[in-house]
Amino acid sequence: MQKMIKKYFALFALPTLLAFIVAFVVPFVLGIYLSFTEFTTVTDAKWIGLSNYVKAFQDQDFVNALWFTAKFTIVSVISINVLAFLLALLLTQKVLGRNVFRTVFFMPNLIGGIVLGYIWQLMINGVLYQFEVTLTSSAKYGFWGLVILMNWQLIGYMMVIYIAGIQNVPKEQLEAAKIDGASNGIILRKIILPLVMPSITICLFLTISNSFKLFDQNLALTAGAPSKQTAMLALDIFNTFYSKAGFEGGGQAKAVMFFVMVALIVVVQLGITRRREIES
Amino acid sequence: MKMRNKMLSLLLIAALVFVAACSNNGGTKGGSTSGGAESIYFLNFKPEIAEVYEQIAKDYEAETGVKVKVVTAAAGTYETRLKSEIAKSEPPTIFQINGPIGYNAWKDYTLDLKDTKLYSYLSDKSLAVTEGDGVYGIPYVVEGYGIIYNNAIMEKYFALPNKATNVSSMEEVNNFDTLKAVVEDMQANAETLGIKGVFASTSLSAGEQWRWQTHLANLPLFYEFNDAEGYESTVLAGLDANEIQFTYGNNFKNIFDLYINNSTVKPTLLGSKSVADSMAEFALGQAAMVQNGNWAWNEIANVGGNVVNQEDIKFLPIYTGVAGEEKQGLAIGTENYLAINNKVSEAKQQASIAFLEWLFSSDKGKAYVTNDLGFIAPFNTFTEDEKPADPLAAEVLNWMNKDTIAIAWTFAAFPSEDFKNDFGDALLEYAQGTKTWDEVKTIVVESWKKEKAK
Amino acid sequence: MLGDSQKSRPLLFLLLLVLAIAFLLPIFIVFMNSFKGKFFISDEPFVFPGGDTFVGLENYTSGIQKIGFFSAFGMSLFITVFSVAAIVFFTSMTGWYLTRVKTKWSSALFFMFVFSMVVPFQMVMFTMTQTANVVGLDNPVGLLVIYLGFGSGLSVFLFSGFVKSVPLEIEEAVMIDGGSPIDMFFKVILPILKPIAITVAILNVMWVWNDYLLPYLVIGTEYQTIPIAVQYLKGGYGSIDMGAMMAMLVLAIIPIVLFYLFCQKYIIEGVVAGAVKG
Repeated sequence: MQKMIKKYFALFALPTLLAFIVAFVVPFVLGIYLSFTEFTTVTDAKWIGLSNYVKAFQDQDFVNALWFTAKFTIVSVISINVLAFLLALLLTQKVLGRNVFRTVFFMPNLIGGIVLGYIWQLMINGVLYQFEVTLTSSAKYGFWGLVILMNWQLIGYMMVIYIAGIQNVPKEQLEAAKIDGASNGIILRKIILPLVMPSITICLFLTISNSFKLFDQNLALTAGAPSKQTAMLALDIFNTFYSKAGFEGGGQAKAVMFFVMVALIVVVQLGITRRREIES
Repeated sequence: MKMRNKMLSLLLIAALVFVAACSNNGGTKGGSTSGGAESIYFLNFKPEIAEVYEQIAKDYEAETGVKVKVVTAAAGTYETRLKSEIAKSEPPTIFQINGPIGYNAWKDYTLDLKDTKLYSYLSDKSLAVTEGDGVYGIPYVVEGYGIIYNNAIMEKYFALPNKATNVSSMEEVNNFDTLKAVVEDMQANAETLGIKGVFASTSLSAGEQWRWQTHLANLPLFYEFNDAEGYESTVLAGLDANEIQFTYGNNFKNIFDLYINNSTVKPTLLGSKSVADSMAEFALGQAAMVQNGNWAWNEIANVGGNVVNQEDIKFLPIYTGVAGEEKQGLAIGTENYLAINNKVSEAKQQASIAFLEWLFSSDKGKAYVTNDLGFIAPFNTFTEDEKPADPLAAEVLNWMNKDTIAIAWTFAAFPSEDFKNDFGDALLEYAQGTKTWDEVKTIVVESWKKEKAK
Repeated sequence: MLGDSQKSRPLLFLLLLVLAIAFLLPIFIVFMNSFKGKFFISDEPFVFPGGDTFVGLENYTSGIQKIGFFSAFGMSLFITVFSVAAIVFFTSMTGWYLTRVKTKWSSALFFMFVFSMVVPFQMVMFTMTQTANVVGLDNPVGLLVIYLGFGSGLSVFLFSGFVKSVPLEIEEAVMIDGGSPIDMFFKVILPILKPIAITVAILNVMWVWNDYLLPYLVIGTEYQTIPIAVQYLKGGYGSIDMGAMMAMLVLAIIPIVLFYLFCQKYIIEGVVAGAVKG
């Protein structure tokens, strides 16, 4: 049978493959190549070895963006997951309007990043205005603004995944523990947490990669102000490419490093998942 | 073999269905516009008049059948946009360069316009961007900026019984010290004058900083390059300068401090203010003065609840405390030069030139230029009474005829957009109190050097 | 705690109610400000419109006209519907094909699709735009091809994972009845794939509809989707018009909320399924 299907490659796989080559394979290979060259358009590239990478690391904006992104990712990943897990615990209890609450909490996740950014720009500037400062007064306002925005957007999403995990915990096991007189804390730690580990892994993965790759929200909320101090990696790369001429090589080198960092995070994540799977 | 044929036909059908579905349902928007001379593409620099250009394009198409695609770049993104557009399969046929610096960046794309009628229309041929024998950029608008003031509020101040200065008309305000005395006294009497502050807010949010990092920054650098020996113009001196001293930096600080400390809002809040906010404050009578150019007339006129009388709107030069500034006039110049893309087909080049010639020489085109675009056009095709009638343009013409020295638009020599943005970011931080003036000066000097070295 | 699912708790309900209101507040504030004059928004966003500050639908009419909202909406809808349709149609076939045909080529291909999921957009942003310009995909129809290509990683992966759980016997039965692989896929397999197809569709709708940078770079000058139009309001007209901005934010949110309310069950299930399998 396999042989028979195989002949239909042109129908079943070729269209996707062609699109994939144009939209991904060629740009990806070209991207790696160009990061070692100096160019303004693809056709006039000149090989210059590693100097784009050296330049990128000498670029203070890039280093700042890296730290800002790392700090932001850590803070938002922790806050989002803790809050989402707590909400999931509350919403798996019997309470009036449970489904309505789930619906409400999940909704912000569907709104696009640009729109979210402007919504929160209005909110945060409105609050700060009372204290006679604005989002651009200091990088810390932009930082916490982004954290709040990210929480608002992702808590509902993660909550839904946690709820699915918690609902998989067998009722009987909980009842039995209750009868044995286990406290709520013990039930949470000994029974629920181990069983929702898969959900935790997924949520960590999603929040880390979403926070690390954040662009739209960053662009709309602060656009990097003041003085590029709140520009995250993705925005810094974008600015390097498109806000000045002659830095495409440096931008591409930054982009390659960005890709390597994202890939590393994924590999580490997968490693942890696999070890956990083996253990259980 | 039979199988292969079947396979191929299926693939074709699938592809066809895909494309057909898209083009049917996507309406006429699917697919790019056809080539040939019937369509030209104008990449517009001025967002505030984008709608007028679209109207002009419609009219032109109705008259000649030539489709003019108008695309407008967002404020401060023209270079970026041009860079990405010029690489497209349908690149702009008409674009704009900002003087010699822009010409240097785009010289591979600019067509020689020496033999066009458009160039022959130019009243002062020396205004064009040239290299050797060639003419590559044609200016199309002369503009002026300064401090716009509401004379009604000024008269009210001059009539105050308890005013602390002895200035009694705007004629007497011809240097920074007088301006400062008047402004500070007005701020003290803001309530009596019925204003929130003398100056409208100094907009410093991202993308809204050009009035300071370009226009105001022009003044100290004009004076600095004016001091340089052996140059025909400040722009040429600026282009030659790999480093600057920012000698007149303190003069910049003088006026900038005056703006932010005698304003409708606290300096710490300026990071959220836009140019539109600023113009609205002026139009609503909440502020007596605002720095801007004659292009801002529409913005003032279109604010709902506008209380400023047309005859009360006047211009004052931007005084910064430089010796001899009593003779200083408005900052008058042009930063916009039309260029034709030499990489598009000959037919498109000609069609583009024809469109521009129509715009600047036909009665219909000229009416648009004068009345709707509000341009003071530097072409001899415009007669004396074909000058814009709005009060700000009239004031610019007025100042041009006075016995004053106009400040040339030296910012054409600024090394890059990044230089301006670094300047603007530093100003924001200075206004918010997170940077000292000395730090701002350092940033300006360093950024110039860094951007020049690139 | 978890065991107490017998009685409902008023205190918990109140807590959740307060939280829900806090979650909805930003949207409400934007809605409220969309009826205020543009100069009364950034200074006092928490004050209700009234008297001088109330401008009725003016922000909506000016905003719609300014950014051409309906054409942006049409463009967003066109791109979302057709690119998601293309993704579901083509990647379901590819997912099935790559799972059923086991050669070293198909395995390598599958690995490439999975690999592409890891690559952030910024990595290929510039080169993809250039490639699109060169091969003439810098128009709305071409954009569909790019979405298919860039979105195929996750979608092929999800379909392929699902196909693994479909027993081979079904396909063998079709074969024995003399059906071609085409019959086999479209008549038998595709209906079985429906649940995962919904998941793939929903994940891609959420991505494409809200995507800003990709369409901005590829077709952004000439065609605007809703996110591009909203971003263009900032700076695209010399200076930002806060009133029009608020109104456009509201209009941008409404279609999403409606879509969500109608397909809520599928969306939440789809997102969970996508997350768990992804």
